[in-house]
Amino acid sequence: MARPAFSTQPSRAGRRLRRAILVAFLVVVAVVLVLPLTLTQQAADANLDPTTLGIDFAMNKSIVRTETTIAMFVALAAAWNLIGGLTGYAAFGNVAFFGLGAYTVGYLTDKLHLSFALALPLAPVVAAAFAGLIGLPLLRLRGHYFAIATLGTGIAVGEVIKNLDVFGGATGLFPPILRHADALFFYLMAANAGLAVLVTWLVLRSRFGYGLIAIRENEEAASVLGVNTTAYKVGAFALAAALTGLAGGIFAQWASFIDQESVFPIQYNVEMILMAIIGGAGTLFGPVAGAIVLEWLILELAGGGASAVYAQIGLGLLLAVTVIFVPRGVVDFFGGSSRLTLGYLRRTLRETSV
Amino acid sequence: MSLFVQQLVLGLMLGGVYVAVAIGFSLVWGILNIVNLAHGALVVVGMYATWFLFTHAGLDPFLTLPLDALILFAVGYFLQRVLINRVIRAPLFFTLLLTFGINLVLINLFLLWFKADFRSVTPSYAGTGLSLGAVTVPYIRLAALVIALVQAGLVGLFMNRSRTGFAVQAVGADKDAAQLVGIDLRHVYALTFAVGAACAGVAGGLLSTIQAISPTAGEPYTLQAFVVVILGGLGRVSATVVGGLLFGLIEVLAQSQVPGLGAGWSNAIAFAVLVLVLVLRPQGLMGRLA
Amino acid sequence: MRAFLSGLAAISLLVACGGASGGGSTTTTGADIIIGAPLSLTGSSSKEGGLAKQGYDMWLTWINQQGGINVKNVKHKVQILYEDDQSKPDISARLTQSLITDKKVQFLLGPYGSGPTASDAVIAEKNSIPMVEGNGAAQAIFSKGYKYTFGVLSPANKYLQGVLDLAATLSPKPSTIAMLAADDSFSQEVAAAVNDYASSKGFSVVYNQKYPNGSTDVSSLVAAAKAKNPDMLLNSGHLAEAIAINKSAKDLQLNAKLFAYSVGPSTPDFITALGKDSYYVMDGSQWTPQVKYKPSFYLSVADYVSTYKSMFNSQDDPDYHVAESTAACLALQKAIENAGTVTNADKVRDALAALDVMTFFGEIKFDIRGVNVTKPMVVEQIQTDGKHHTVYPAEVADKQAQYPTPAWSSR
Repeated sequence: MARPAFSTQPSRAGRRLRRAILVAFLVVVAVVLVLPLTLTQQAADANLDPTTLGIDFAMNKSIVRTETTIAMFVALAAAWNLIGGLTGYAAFGNVAFFGLGAYTVGYLTDKLHLSFALALPLAPVVAAAFAGLIGLPLLRLRGHYFAIATLGTGIAVGEVIKNLDVFGGATGLFPPILRHADALFFYLMAANAGLAVLVTWLVLRSRFGYGLIAIRENEEAASVLGVNTTAYKVGAFALAAALTGLAGGIFAQWASFIDQESVFPIQYNVEMILMAIIGGAGTLFGPVAGAIVLEWLILELAGGGASAVYAQIGLGLLLAVTVIFVPRGVVDFFGGSSRLTLGYLRRTLRETSV
Repeated sequence: MSLFVQQLVLGLMLGGVYVAVAIGFSLVWGILNIVNLAHGALVVVGMYATWFLFTHAGLDPFLTLPLDALILFAVGYFLQRVLINRVIRAPLFFTLLLTFGINLVLINLFLLWFKADFRSVTPSYAGTGLSLGAVTVPYIRLAALVIALVQAGLVGLFMNRSRTGFAVQAVGADKDAAQLVGIDLRHVYALTFAVGAACAGVAGGLLSTIQAISPTAGEPYTLQAFVVVILGGLGRVSATVVGGLLFGLIEVLAQSQVPGLGAGWSNAIAFAVLVLVLVLRPQGLMGRLA
Repeated sequence: MRAFLSGLAAISLLVACGGASGGGSTTTTGADIIIGAPLSLTGSSSKEGGLAKQGYDMWLTWINQQGGINVKNVKHKVQILYEDDQSKPDISARLTQSLITDKKVQFLLGPYGSGPTASDAVIAEKNSIPMVEGNGAAQAIFSKGYKYTFGVLSPANKYLQGVLDLAATLSPKPSTIAMLAADDSFSQEVAAAVNDYASSKGFSVVYNQKYPNGSTDVSSLVAAAKAKNPDMLLNSGHLAEAIAINKSAKDLQLNAKLFAYSVGPSTPDFITALGKDSYYVMDGSQWTPQVKYKPSFYLSVADYVSTYKSMFNSQDDPDYHVAESTAACLALQKAIENAGTVTNADKVRDALAALDVMTFFGEIKFDIRGVNVTKPMVVEQIQTDGKHHTVYPAEVADKQAQYPTPAWSSR
């Protein structure tokens, strides 16, 4: 199977461009991070009567919600990148970890009346433990087989939980509403997204990371070279699970209502993979860029009455165009070795088609 | 006891539906190494085709099956030749994502054209059945089972007896060697996908007499085709037949015969079986070793 | 913008008061009232979402023909802003927040389905915006102490009680029940209520099973039910499952005396999908075109039906999804009028809590949780003329129930 080379030595101009983009990106991140703080402060000053609240506060709540959602998907895509992009295992069931994290927090806060602060740290622990447990048998599978086994696991976990009355059964769980905490949830999600990027960065620079890439390029050879492939793969899987589970845990408290349908949605699996690939799988910032762009698009296209059908069709076409013409992700143009030219499109097309 | 026999019969009939749905899926996966997430949507195209011919041309739903196959053959050939061939040499995510995109587009086109209404094909003989004591065998489902098996047989004949079938198999085994001996890869790929789509069309035609038709009616069948192919094993028609029938039986028996668990658990059981089979016997029950 | 609108409203209110003191009840026009409604226009519940939208649009057209909602002699025209939540709870929540903050909606009408309703109720609560919903009957959302969500429909546990009440009056009296239910929260509440209620009416539940929501093949469950030879086959699920169960019942010759499904038979699709096989089937319905309520405002039942047919150019009567959605609008309208304000959401909330009004849909009066427990459910049946008829309770019925259902072989 032909696999596009993900990282190449950038030229000097490319390096300068990359640095400029990084700076711009950091500035934007800083602004995004600070804004919710200042704006929701107005809300606190404004006496919190919804009828007298200023327009600014109202606007911010929606923007903050959008940003929170995007931050959540940045974490999901970056976490998937660890197992799917770096290690090359097509994990199609990461939503299981999201759901497990969400149900951990939901169960502890709704049924055992634990505080959110005490419950949240357990979400990544449960998710990672589960990943370790299923990782050992599942990670022996390759290619489509691994993809389907993880997909099946994701569905089975959701179905089992739905059938257990201790977890609310079909009704779901209702963590108590935390009022005026919009900014808090944004910062939690953003922190988790930052953590996911940091972890990726650390992994990429470590022996562990080289081992994972070696497994992706040629697992047998990696094994011969002394990489403990089983431990490495399970490690990457558990790491991805912990980050995904943490996002789920935050989501549960944020949404204040979870059920099987809302925290085990199959389309999240596809979305996080799509984000990583559109951005550039296996790279540090690719999944981040992909998540921001795609989730923003999805949010913009949602709603809108009858035109929603056309929006969905547009999303499907975008998907087709992206995988056909830009198989290395958009990150390839920015700071990678390639420029967005007609020749590039023609070359990538020839590379992957018969 | 008669209830148990009745459940076995129903399980086999449901298995027939799964065989019909999974044959095309298995062919495309086995030869082209494409997991076609739009398979369920193609099944729905078949459903609407039969519905249209039944309602507007008065054709018997079973007579529409060859037409369904023809329509879907054309659709499938087009999709593979124009779109999927473009990413066939990319990593497997890409074909997954591309077919997911095709699925999204198709479902929303159905929504545009047919709205979210539930439609149904009810010929005059619907609901009649063969009574063997306390056990009832519904004719339509029996016919669906028989046609599914005939369809599997035809695909098997095509693969193992025809020149084109040999070419398809050769491509599946070693595409570079196949190209060297002068096989037109693009055409054979498109042909394989077209045959797979035609099978989906027949499955859709059969299903239209059994269940309500709506734009999203095909969604569960993509997943079920997965399970069937995994259960039976990749690369042989007979394996898909065994996998389909077995999965029908497992699902029905899980719904009714597992003590202490209700039918609410049937999805959980089905996917647990899937994962277990993958872990214990990744080549499937009858598959060739990779 | 909102401040501007409320300023406008205040000015027009002053003008109105001045006018009123001058003698007579002349009305003036105030700022538009903006209402948000996330709905399933695509996705798994798009059929029902479309029906709900029809219901909202009927009221919208009518109220604007009247000049708007009359608040202390100031008439406010109404806008409803729709968003498509794709039948997904998380998207519904996001859109609800966006409606409140970006589109500045002052009130909310509910989405379709118990899942999106639950997630939107959280948003309504966090923003202190009243939401009146007519399409989420599961009671779980009303047991969490939320203050801003009100449901005009009779709760899930009432759905099939009417059928059991009716069955108790029939002769020969049926005695055994086979109960099938999808595994979503609404269907499970319906089924649990049947199990609790059956014995008090002298019935025994001989078979009780749940199946995964969205099942396409339920024949093995129907076969297992048949083995118990039940007098009544009840299902609580959705339209597609109701069709599948009815088909399987015929396939397997399950000859119950009475077939009743919570949701499905009330929609015209059920009859077109099944043809004559749909005859004799009953359902618990929130409302039927035959009910005989005497509304204190808005249209009479007969006018409602004829307006629906002309407005949507439809041969079919409106089904209850349409009516319950219109009813949600009516509750909101009355509450705004009673509160005497369009800007103070809390006062409107309090007016909703205190509301007691008779509409074409029945009485609307919320209990402490926000559930409309006053209105009874009715039982309708598809009779051998191929039409829906109301058969219970007797005071609103237009036909006797056709009973017992003949065996499949002799139809």
